[in-house]
Amino acid sequence: MTDEELMKMAVDTALGQGAKEVIAQLIEEEEHQIRFSNSQTDIAKRWKRNYLDIFLTSGHPLSLGKKINTLTIHDPTPKKIKTQIPREVRVLRSLPKSKLYWGMDSASHSTYPSLKGLYDERIDEMPEEAPCIVDDTISASHEAGAKKVSGVLYFGKTNKGLLTSHGNGGVYRTSYCRATVRSFHDDNSSGQSLVVTRNLKDIDKKMMDAGSRAGRLAKRSAGGKEEKGGRYDLIMSPTVAGNIFGTLLSSANPIMMLGGMSCLKGKMDEQIGPDSLSVRDDPLVNDGMNSRPFDDEGTPSKRTPLIDEGVFSNLLHNTSTAKLWKLLNWIKLKFWIRPTTTSNSVLGQLGMTGSDDDPRTLLVGPSNYVFEPGTFTLNEMISSSKRPTIYMTSNWYTRFTNMREGKFSTVPRDAAFLIQDGEVKRPVRNLRLKGDLLKMCGDITGIGKDVRQIQWWEVSTPTFVPHIKVKDCTFTKAKS
Amino acid sequence: MDGKDVADHAVEYGDSLGADYVEARYIRSKDDNYITRNGKFLGIQKKESRGIGIRVLVDGCMGFGSTNSVNRKAVEDTIDSVVGMAKLSRRGTPIRLSDEKTVRTKWSVPVKRPFADVPEDEKRNYIKELDKSIKRAGKRTIKNRILFMNMNTADKYTTTSHGSRVRANTSLISIMTVMNARYKDRKEQKMVTLGSSSGWEWLKEENIMSELTGQGESLYKTVSYAKDHTFNRPMDVVVAGEVSGIMAHENVGHPSEGDRILGREAAQAGESFYSDILDENPQIGNEEVTIIDDPTLKGSPGYYRYDEECVKARPRYLIKNGRLNELLLNRECAYRFDKKSNASARSTSYSREPIPRMSNTFFEPGDHTKEELIEDVKNGILLNSFTEWNIDDRRFHSKYVGLEAYLIKNGEVTDTMVRRPVLELTTYGILRNVDAVSKEYESRMAPCGKSDPMQPIPVSVGGPHVRLRKVVVG
Repeated sequence: MTDEELMKMAVDTALGQGAKEVIAQLIEEEEHQIRFSNSQTDIAKRWKRNYLDIFLTSGHPLSLGKKINTLTIHDPTPKKIKTQIPREVRVLRSLPKSKLYWGMDSASHSTYPSLKGLYDERIDEMPEEAPCIVDDTISASHEAGAKKVSGVLYFGKTNKGLLTSHGNGGVYRTSYCRATVRSFHDDNSSGQSLVVTRNLKDIDKKMMDAGSRAGRLAKRSAGGKEEKGGRYDLIMSPTVAGNIFGTLLSSANPIMMLGGMSCLKGKMDEQIGPDSLSVRDDPLVNDGMNSRPFDDEGTPSKRTPLIDEGVFSNLLHNTSTAKLWKLLNWIKLKFWIRPTTTSNSVLGQLGMTGSDDDPRTLLVGPSNYVFEPGTFTLNEMISSSKRPTIYMTSNWYTRFTNMREGKFSTVPRDAAFLIQDGEVKRPVRNLRLKGDLLKMCGDITGIGKDVRQIQWWEVSTPTFVPHIKVKDCTFTKAKS
Repeated sequence: MDGKDVADHAVEYGDSLGADYVEARYIRSKDDNYITRNGKFLGIQKKESRGIGIRVLVDGCMGFGSTNSVNRKAVEDTIDSVVGMAKLSRRGTPIRLSDEKTVRTKWSVPVKRPFADVPEDEKRNYIKELDKSIKRAGKRTIKNRILFMNMNTADKYTTTSHGSRVRANTSLISIMTVMNARYKDRKEQKMVTLGSSSGWEWLKEENIMSELTGQGESLYKTVSYAKDHTFNRPMDVVVAGEVSGIMAHENVGHPSEGDRILGREAAQAGESFYSDILDENPQIGNEEVTIIDDPTLKGSPGYYRYDEECVKARPRYLIKNGRLNELLLNRECAYRFDKKSNASARSTSYSREPIPRMSNTFFEPGDHTKEELIEDVKNGILLNSFTEWNIDDRRFHSKYVGLEAYLIKNGEVTDTMVRRPVLELTTYGILRNVDAVSKEYESRMAPCGKSDPMQPIPVSVGGPHVRLRKVVVG
């Protein structure tokens, strides 16, 4: 039975049992990982999963909220479909309405954007080549100054199929490779570099370049001293900007707003950054790790400006949240505001544990965040720094006092440098950045030309972002 | 062929390929989730999953693979793949495992009322009643309340080529609340999780409704009455169990993890400042400081009897009277430290490798009452709860921002509430300033994050009240 036939059987079975709307999503994925530390491989891993997610709904089209249920059939077969779906449709009838679900895309979509570069045939050679690539990466980092090298290399491929009860969807395949290389010159002097791509051409060279960058940064950060806390201007590497401004962008989500977790609530159409700041959600961007022809409702992918010349311009929506927001605006007599889906529907996890085993439901999620490039080079940002400035190359452990207000602190990790009078003076350590997302966005003074795709442990949404400079930031340090 | 037979076959097959060690874990788990916002259901979701994870050691190199296709062909394909990749790894220093006793046993989380026996209406009504109770406690300030209730049961079977076989039946219930409060122009937010390895009876026996309602009252008081104060000077600070628990977890539990000390987490969760001090083992805390990680506490979120490598669990005294005493070790790390494993290997799923983790980490309760801790403070602060926190990746420079906090004057807790006091302290700054620990123990649950892919594992982060002398409060 083909993937299409299996999904059609699932949708037909659910509709036949009385479900009103159905999404069947078939995933077959094979992922590999090599973890390394102390300049040698710790473990090589492979995950293989195939499963069929079924999203079921019932309820009158005009009702406020509908009943929803989700089922995952592991290692799906026609027999499992025929037995498990009828049972879950019966469960569906007994459930209360969800206030999160107001319907899915019922338009008929016959064509989808054609995306190039989602799959690279060379992925099949990676399991054999990857161990050597890791060895070469470690060597390159040593040559650049590292004394020990750690990191992780991921690569994998996925076949994804989608069929909704409105006939939307299709089948496509993707492959990817991403890596973190963290090199140490000594226990306290480290540098990090990333590789994030779907394009496996010269992947060995890309990895070795990452190893070299991490090694150089580690060496340059040696001998760092504790710097006193206070006010500094800040240059964020793309890795840091992806974490901090990525967190701000994740607030442009109605589900975050409903949960009281968005500092962008009430800021629509306001200037929140400089004119030079424009960011979009872009599921069509070349090489994007979350690029896709359609979302999980089968809505064709499209770009959505989130910040347009400094103005907060859109929320991401699926069909449900667009309908809900329209109603909320009508209640406020704002009849002219009629949001529609932005093609950001995802069968995601609303669970509490963050585990892969949490159940999935239809949510709103970003694809790739893409910053428009600015006009500065890194060297220009450094040389134009007349006030004391900290250059952070990486960070971790961003935590909020209150997500609604956007107040947080984060810990610089790896190489960080003090810049004075337009020159890098010395490596610094043991500082903490205390910030306010909206204030920092408003205080952006420079946006780099060098847009790079970032995705790693601290940046889950693929983010194409350059170096970004922010004025007048607060750094603190431990006092006892 | 059921999952256990397939796991046994995986070990035989890996053995036949010449692997030095094979470990297979079959897990079938069920989740029952209820999510509400302001008392209205966002979703009720039930999910079952099953799969097999296999770890192999070949020529001193480690491989791990998993599949959700529970059959002989799929596990053979998985083992072929991971053995092949492990052989290509070419480590300079071969991985070895500590020798441990072979065990064949079963264990279960004690459950009086299984989740499956609880009528659906009772579950739904509980979470709706809880929302109402928190709403009442918030006196119209807590306008946005999200509640998550999760019930997980799992049937696990682990088998190794060293001859161990452990079957476990686990049951874990947890409730997380996200509360947003607003009063005039002030906003405060509180996330709190309570949980237990037990059945539905936990809600009643531990009076969870009352406990979480108390959290709502606490947030109401904080948003309504807390005022900004500027201290920036040394003060005595008494931290309640929620705060002492997170300190024990972050400043002592994480740096005690053997894999961090050895550098294996360097590119993810980081390393440990312990690598600087292990040889000389200095006094890093006052005599009053003993910190335990104990997976054998019945009913706790981090409860287990045998770890994922079939080693029998026992309490680990990480710090005894201010001195390092023991690390958290799985078999791989134990071999490197020339020790025995102390059963610290945990994984969140069949698809994750077991690595050293905490279970329930806390300051050992002392002889004082919490009132006695406060009686002896002339000018200080009581921190009942916290909000923002973080720590560097060697686990030395930490920050904890208080949420519900009061001034202490002349040995008494005053009505004056302090808004967001900041403790930005090193690990030594905490441990070397503790002078008294209370008898009482307050429980909290958290999903502890570590590894890549992330393995958010249930742990307890509660503890007794702890008094810190003369630490700078910002």
